[in-house]
Amino acid sequence: MNKQMIKCINENMDEIIEKWQAMMKNEKGERFFHFMPENLVEKTSREFAELMTTNIAENNIINAEKLTDFASKVVRFGWSIKFVNKAIDNFSNITFDLLEEKEIIHHDNVRLFHGTFANWISPLRETIIEAYSVEWERTVNLQKIALQELSASLIPVFEKISVMPLVGTIDTERAKLIMENLLEGVVKQRAEVVLLDITGVPVVDTMVAHHIIQAADAVRLVGSKCMLVGIRPEIAQTIVALGINLQDFTTTSTLQKGMKEALELTNRTIVEVK
Amino acid sequence: MMNMRIPILKLNDTLIVSIQWELDDKTALQFQEDLLNKMHETTARGIVIDLTPIDFIDSFIAKVLGDVISMSGLMGAKVVITGIQPAVAITLIELGIRLEDVLTALDLENGLDKLQKELEA
Amino acid sequence: MEYRSFVDIYTEWDIVAARQLGRNEAKNSGFGTVDQARITTAISELARNIYLYAGKGRLEIERLSENGLHGIRIIASDEGPGIQDMRKVMEDGYSTSGGLGAGMPGVKRLMDGFKVDTEPGVGTTITATKWLR
Repeated sequence: MNKQMIKCINENMDEIIEKWQAMMKNEKGERFFHFMPENLVEKTSREFAELMTTNIAENNIINAEKLTDFASKVVRFGWSIKFVNKAIDNFSNITFDLLEEKEIIHHDNVRLFHGTFANWISPLRETIIEAYSVEWERTVNLQKIALQELSASLIPVFEKISVMPLVGTIDTERAKLIMENLLEGVVKQRAEVVLLDITGVPVVDTMVAHHIIQAADAVRLVGSKCMLVGIRPEIAQTIVALGINLQDFTTTSTLQKGMKEALELTNRTIVEVK
Repeated sequence: MMNMRIPILKLNDTLIVSIQWELDDKTALQFQEDLLNKMHETTARGIVIDLTPIDFIDSFIAKVLGDVISMSGLMGAKVVITGIQPAVAITLIELGIRLEDVLTALDLENGLDKLQKELEA
Repeated sequence: MEYRSFVDIYTEWDIVAARQLGRNEAKNSGFGTVDQARITTAISELARNIYLYAGKGRLEIERLSENGLHGIRIIASDEGPGIQDMRKVMEDGYSTSGGLGAGMPGVKRLMDGFKVDTEPGVGTTITATKWLR
């Protein structure tokens, strides 16, 4: 009976895939099947179909390596876990319908086939979702590391002047990293003035301000001066509304203005030459 | 070991101190006394204390340093601290020691420049 | 078996010995310069507290390895008078010795974990941990 089913599935694979793609395209909020290049959709679909059917053919043994491979692929494609789940459901439904259509499943053995399908799909679903979540976690961790790496570099701009552009949300962990990079950089680059540019920081709350004040204090201790630049109007509003005291700081609205002040502080100025 | 004193050098009207090793409590207090005496003897108007080799400062040493600066101020001299290491600065801030109103510079050379400007001002 | 070492605190010089031990342990455990300074400073504060308030005690340093994480634990124990008002001791700026009062809350900020067991008249044990990032 199982052999018959496998044979039928394999013979009608193209039809199953076609129907499955059509069904997936109708999913709400679906992007992948609409916007990705045709050949990529085709390849991914075939891979998915193959993955779905290997464990019937190979006596319910799931190929873990292929599965992890596939999971990492769909995570990169941006498939949500809901979408992956739907893909499994759709595939199973289409196959069931097909087998009914070919009269392999009829009302005498339908109960039996429900069991066969459950034994086939359930472990597959479990493993796919597990592979997916492992892959997802790995991706999140990698992004975290990537964020840390790009998050805090001190750039020497002129002799004695360096700039650190801050981008993204600042939490305690990142604040520590920023402080260390800032201070090591100041000492290494012999920067007498550092400009901390917060243009790219979306929200400055009490905690973020506290970290910035601490960093500036530490910069003062190593013998340099820290200026806070890139204060957008809405940031200025929140700072005052929260009652955060930045009186001891030199602050400017733009990096350009800050740079001008930094040059003045180090007894220099920019002149136009003819 | 017990009587290690920190050498205090005089250059024109400036005293230069380079702290080369970890300070224990007694040496720190001895240094405070020696520095004030030296100032009194020499009528120096400025002091530069270089801390480049120091890899940590706890609240006690920070207090001694802070006191030295206040006392020197009372005797009419300005103090610049130079060469505080990044790790030391971070630990001080996390300890809650801000050393406000202390003049600092990246290194001895910058420190002497800064002191000169302060004295001229 | 975990690796453990200690310094008994009787004199001011033992404070220096304790932080030297701490600095070496921190370095050998793979901590960076900033964390080395944090650990050394925390030890200095705790050892000085023992010297000032209890007169004598012990500072132990233990290397940790738990769930794939590595770190250092400092245990400062004494049989001194104990801490009367825990809340006050943990306030920034509080000091009974005329210091800067950075002691306890400062140490807590320097380390990742911080725990105080104290009983008036019996003694105090302070445990502070730092994990490798």
